[in-house]
This record gives sequence, C-alpha cells and structure tokens, in this order.
Amino acid sequence: MKKHVLLKKIPGYVVIIISSLIMITPFVTAVFNSLKTYTQYTAVPPKWIPDPVMWSNYAEVWKLTDFSQYTVNSLIVSVLSVIGSILSSSMIAYAFARLRFPFKNTLFMMVLGTMMIPPVVTIIPQFIIFKNLGMLDTLMPLWVIEWLGQPFGIFLMRQAFLSIPKSYEEAAKLDGCNPFQIYWKIFLPMCKPALATLAVFTFMGKWNEILAPVIYLTSQENFTLPIGILSLGGQWFGNEQFLVAAALMSLIPILLIFLVAEKYFVQGANNSGIK
Amino acid sequence: MPRNPVEANTGHRLTAKKRFLDQEGRWGLLLTSPYLIHFLVFVLGTLLTSLYFSLSNYDMLNPPEWVGLKNYDRLVHDPVFWKALWNTLYFVILFVPTQTFLALILAVALNQKLKGLKLFRMAHFVPVISSWTVILYVTDAVFNPRFGMANTLLTQLGLDPQKWLQDEVLVIPILVLIAVWKGVGYIMLIFLAGLQNVPQDLYEAAELDGAGVIKRFRYITLPMISGSTFLVLILSTISTFQAFEQIYVMTGGAADATAAGGPNNASLVLMLYLYREGFSFLHMGYASAIAWVLFVILFVLTWIQVRLQKRWVHYE
Repeated sequence: MKKHVLLKKIPGYVVIIISSLIMITPFVTAVFNSLKTYTQYTAVPPKWIPDPVMWSNYAEVWKLTDFSQYTVNSLIVSVLSVIGSILSSSMIAYAFARLRFPFKNTLFMMVLGTMMIPPVVTIIPQFIIFKNLGMLDTLMPLWVIEWLGQPFGIFLMRQAFLSIPKSYEEAAKLDGCNPFQIYWKIFLPMCKPALATLAVFTFMGKWNEILAPVIYLTSQENFTLPIGILSLGGQWFGNEQFLVAAALMSLIPILLIFLVAEKYFVQGANNSGIK
Repeated sequence: MPRNPVEANTGHRLTAKKRFLDQEGRWGLLLTSPYLIHFLVFVLGTLLTSLYFSLSNYDMLNPPEWVGLKNYDRLVHDPVFWKALWNTLYFVILFVPTQTFLALILAVALNQKLKGLKLFRMAHFVPVISSWTVILYVTDAVFNPRFGMANTLLTQLGLDPQKWLQDEVLVIPILVLIAVWKGVGYIMLIFLAGLQNVPQDLYEAAELDGAGVIKRFRYITLPMISGSTFLVLILSTISTFQAFEQIYVMTGGAADATAAGGPNNASLVLMLYLYREGFSFLHMGYASAIAWVLFVILFVLTWIQVRLQKRWVHYE
C-alpha cells in the first residue's frame, strides 16, 4: 500500500522538479555571468563557470555609476508608498468596516468601481495634474497617491476589520474612546498580518514599477533602480556583465523581504484571487 | 414585571446611541475623506479629462483644441493602430491560456503532500518578484542572438541560429514564453488556494467508484475550482491587454522610446503605442483616444466573460 502511494507521487515530483529547474537555471546562469569578463561572457559556445571570477564587477557598478542614488530613490519611493498605503487604506477601511455614516455604500461602490477602471485611461490626465503641481521629474508622483488610499488595500483591510468581534469596540466605547482611537489603539494592532500583506505587496509593486518612473522621471539622478539600470545599457554596451551584476543587486532587497515575509505574499496572492 | 425601569433604560440608551450615530457619521466621513479626494481628482476627474482630450488636439504646450471625433476617425484609418491591436490580441491569445493551463498543472502537482514543497514553491516565485529589468538581463543569457544558450543548442542540433527578440516573427512568441515563465508561479498560487478548498472526501468517494486520475480531475477538480479559473482568466486578460513594462524593457523601448516595439513594429502593443504617441510625440489627444478604445475593449471583454461565466462556473 505504501509503495503504491509513493508511486502515485512520482509524476508530481517530476513535474515540479523540472519546472523548478526551468525557473531557477536562468538566475543561476545570470549569477555566473555577472562574475565573468566580457570575453568570457560572450564566449561561443558559452562557458558556465566564470574563470577568472570577477568579483570586481560588482564594485565597478557602484564606482562607475549613480547606482547608490538609484537605490536611495527606489527606497524613498517604496518606503513612503508603504507607509502611506498602510496608514490611509487601513483608516478608510476601518470606517467602511465598522462605522455607520451617510453615503457609505456610494463611497464603497466608488472604491470597487476604481478597481475596474484600467489605469491606462487615467495616465495622461494624471501626468497633467502632476505637471501642474510642479512635480514632474520628482519622486512625488510615484508615491503620493498611495497616501489617499488604494482600492486593493482598502478591500484587504476591510476584510480583516470585519472579522473582529463587536465586543472589542463596545468595551472601548465604554472607556470613552472615539472611533479614531478605537481604530488606532485596538483595531490596527489586531490586524498586523493584513497590514504586513499590504506592506509586502506595496513594496514589491513600487520597487519593480517601470511605467510611472518612465513617464515622470527625466533626470538621471532621479531614476529608480529598474529604469536606472536600463539607462546604463547604452553606456555599457559591450560590457553587459556589469548590467547583469547591477540587475542582480537590485533584486537582493526584494528577495530578502520575500524570504522574511513569504507567508504574507502567499496570503496576498490568495486574497487577490478569491474575493 | 419591571416594565418601567426597562423602558426608561432603553429610552435613555436610544438617545445616547443617536447622538453617537451623529458623531459616528462625522468620523466616518472624516476617515474616508482621503479616498473621496482620490476618487474625485484621480478617478472621476481624470476620466472626464481623458475623454475631453480624446476629442481634442493637445500637445501640452498649447491649450486643447476641440476636434470632435477626428482622433477616432484617424485611429480607424491608422495601419499602425491596427497592427498594435492585432499584436495585443495575439499576445493575449497566446499568453492567457498557456499561463492558465501550466499554472493549473503546477498547482495540482504542488497540491500533493510532497517533500521539499516549500522550496519548490519558492523557486517559482523568484521570477514573480523580479522586475522586468532583472528579467531582461537574466533571460539575455538564454536568448542573446550572439552567445545565448538557445542558439548554442540550435547549432549543436545542426539548426540555424535565430535572432529571437530581434526577429519579426519570433518576437511575440518569445515574449509570451518569457511572460509565462515569469508569471506562472503567481497564478499557480491562486489555483493552489482554490484546490485547497476542494473537499477531500469527494476524491475518496470517486476513487471508491473507480474513477481514475483524469476522470477525477475532469469531474471534480475542474468544476470545483471554476471560480478561481474564471477570476484568473478575467484578471490576466485585463492586465495583459495593458501590458507595457515587459515589451518596453525587452524590445528596445529603453534605449530609444520612439523605436519601442521591436523590428517593424512587430511587438508594438496598444499600451506602447499610447505611450509613444502621448509621451514621445506629445500627441496627447490621439493617445487619449487610444486609451478609450482600449477601455471599451476591456469593458466589452469583461462583460462577455461575466455573461459566459453563468454557463460554466460552478458555485456551491
């Protein structure tokens, strides 16, 4: 019987082992490529193992470019977006989940409606708004809207707040807390997993974003990592091993966050699939 | 029966509650006001402005000049627009079913109790969490026309090397292949959540009745997760129609925006055309018209999918 069960699992193992290899091999190859000289990088047929190992490629990226500036810019955008979205989305979501107020349903329909409007329709007027506000070629347009609440975040946090028993806020009301205090002191600390989910997703989205930085940023020193590295392409034509090293370095922070917060990533993905 | 005290008590609580409701109402409006601003300015305001722009000539330097439906008329007669529309459709048609199908197979495989599951799952997330810039340089090792692994393999098999992303015919299939490789882990996760909600006793009962693996998949798994499948199809169709970043990054938009879209516009998709017209050539009116056509297509597609949903999605 046991042998039979094991045998049945073999096709599953074969599928996921092959698939995992397909997923990972290009990354491993890229790591090796980032440690090669250009001659070896372009060798035909390709040689897998770098010889000599050019650790200096990584140092060159920092030395020869604005890489540190791109990193700082990416951090500013991502961190400010995370703070803005967890503060505003949770506050708005709390009101939708627990308070009774006029136009509540209409307002919530607006939130849902926003999720259905493709961002492409609003890109150009949004660009004009930020132009009129004098924010072109600054990092502001990349994070400022997050402070006005994001539909996904509002939705996610509302679900979390709805699951808290009513007795908590009744007890707090008796203690003389106003709705904001109940939200801030009781509800927010109780929903840390949902907040973490939102934070992880916002950070990843902003760290990897390309469309908005491409549209809003024009000066090299304002570039975020993804477009900063792309802009180095011309400069390093014929030295692509540097670009591979730069790209891999830009992946490290997101990889670290992912390793720490993997369960929130899974949770968030599931929430975006099942509503 | 102590009627009076109770009544008095209820009456007192009611007025207290009413007063609190007013306060609650004020707080509710105050706490949601950021979203009201968001909606009025960045959703409703931009939608109306975008519609107005699409009926105007606007180059951002001079005020918009009303031209009625001229932009739309030009669109209909613009071969580049039709090519971009076709490229977009081609991309979606290749990408969405492939990704959905492979994600489902992976989810079924990963749904068993296997050893090292977490590690395998993580392997599938690495491309998901990478930016397209990272993907560009990672996949270059495979599809570089001069020294990539794909061409090495072809020459070893005695076949001709290909230009891959620089080839007019191959560019979209290769972009789709890379997009599936990047995105399949995420969709797999959504299916995995759906699979975990399927009651195990259904499978046990079917197995006792002698249903094989394929029958069980066909008659239990597929209907039970049709809700997830529906969402995956709708969401990935909508987002793929708006694909920009991958194509911008991987087919030369980064080097020269006016040249974005691959050889002979072979990978010019609608979003890229919109970007090129609007932000490279400052034809904001024309670009807004493209945006509205895209919006209408997405709206109709979603509507059709929701209608069809009734025919095949199984809800408990």
